[in-house]
Amino acid sequence: TMLPLLLLLLATAHGLQELQYVPTLAGTKLGGRTTGSTFVLEQPRCIFDSTTSGTDIWLVVASSTATVSFTDSVQPGTPQWAFQNFPANTSAYLTLRATLLHYPCPKASGEITVLRVGSETVCANNTSRPTCNGPLPSPGPYRVKFLSLNGSTPVAETRWSQPITLRTARQLPSGPEAGGRRSAGMIAITSILSILLAVLLAVLLAMLAFCGSDPCGSSSIFKPEAASIRRYNTHHVYDQPAARL
Amino acid sequence: MAKTDNGIRIFQGLLILGNVVIGMCGIALTAECIFFVSDPYGLYPLLEATENDDIYAAAWIGIFVGFALLALSILGIVGVIKSNKTLLLVYIILMLITYAFEMASCITAATHRDFLTPNLFLKQMLERYQKSETDNNNDKWMTNGVTKTWDNLMLQNQCCGVHGPSDWQEYTSAFRMTHNDADFPWPHNCCVLDARGSPINLDGCKLGVSGFYNKNGCYGAISGPMNRQAWGVAWFGFAILCWTFCVLLGTMFYWSRI
Repeated sequence: TMLPLLLLLLATAHGLQELQYVPTLAGTKLGGRTTGSTFVLEQPRCIFDSTTSGTDIWLVVASSTATVSFTDSVQPGTPQWAFQNFPANTSAYLTLRATLLHYPCPKASGEITVLRVGSETVCANNTSRPTCNGPLPSPGPYRVKFLSLNGSTPVAETRWSQPITLRTARQLPSGPEAGGRRSAGMIAITSILSILLAVLLAVLLAMLAFCGSDPCGSSSIFKPEAASIRRYNTHHVYDQPAARL
Repeated sequence: MAKTDNGIRIFQGLLILGNVVIGMCGIALTAECIFFVSDPYGLYPLLEATENDDIYAAAWIGIFVGFALLALSILGIVGVIKSNKTLLLVYIILMLITYAFEMASCITAATHRDFLTPNLFLKQMLERYQKSETDNNNDKWMTNGVTKTWDNLMLQNQCCGVHGPSDWQEYTSAFRMTHNDADFPWPHNCCVLDARGSPINLDGCKLGVSGFYNKNGCYGAISGPMNRQAWGVAWFGFAILCWTFCVLLGTMFYWSRI
């Protein structure tokens, strides 16, 4: 009878409350949901209850392939959990320290309640700030969870999130930037204008070759002065004989 | 005789009318091309940096062709009224030369319009916007031009990038070399700015909350004016040339009969 009691005591002494919440990325309406070195999580509102009221709620960021175990003592600020040592010398780090007061419940409607992981650039290389929320060094993938610590004793934790992969910038493919497809309008303009110019040149050459300086065709109706001069000449010829008489 | 007299008069009248229309169209073409060359939307530096600014060359040619058309139409009217063969021959030959120039302008405008794709401007923006190390004076001039033009564009049209702010995330750029991704997921000019030119909510802008940053792409604001310019020069010139074709044919017929 003592053994079950002892086991029960051990379990309560361990006391790590496992919450079923899975941390998620913020909604898709945010344009900066994931960038090259940051990502945005939904705040864990109404997840932690009053048993965690005096504790610090930390965010644990780990590479998704690493296995991170929480032993009895998790000391934030030690090199084992420092941002600057991630991912070379440690597989996870702690950041974004908060208390239950930062995540009030219920969430006010219409508010955007998010956490931006990776927004602090000033302390990224400052080893005296091991809990810096610095930009993530590689596209990942990463997994996160929220951990509630009383000093260095874990009190409650959420589940691991789905793997989060960040965006990678690529080189712009040098596609058909110059010499795009020929549009129909351009082809129409070029061909029609060329034909018209050719016709004009042909008619000009024909005009110069065949008509030269004499009027073409039989009728010279287009030159009114020529007609009147001829009439004048005719008048003269008939006048002469009359005058001689 | 009276009937053929009327025929002469009508034909002369038609030619004079044709030349009047050509003269007026010449003035309109000059005005239109001056408007385009004056670059009211401030987009010329973008084209200069692509080294593909021939639609501006087409507009410049259009200015001079317009003047030439005006002068030649007056010569044509005088030639038709006096029925002088020499004048009309000079008119025809000079008109053909002007015709050739205007044809070059139209084809240039239409062809180079086809080069103005989103990818072209995207490449320019990514390579030159806020580029810090410039090779020579020419490079520096073009970089400054591109940067200032994009800043103006983003401010006046409330837009960001060519397709959207995601251009800055999806592709590597000269901007990214000097500005880290966490502080500048996109340039701060993409944020909604207040009267003094600083973002109204920098955190909201970096998060990508609509209302604090410009979500739309600027391609519409670039391609709209450029298309209007290219097609304005090309199609108006085409229309003038079709009309000029008819008038020239009529003048050549008239010349051969006087």
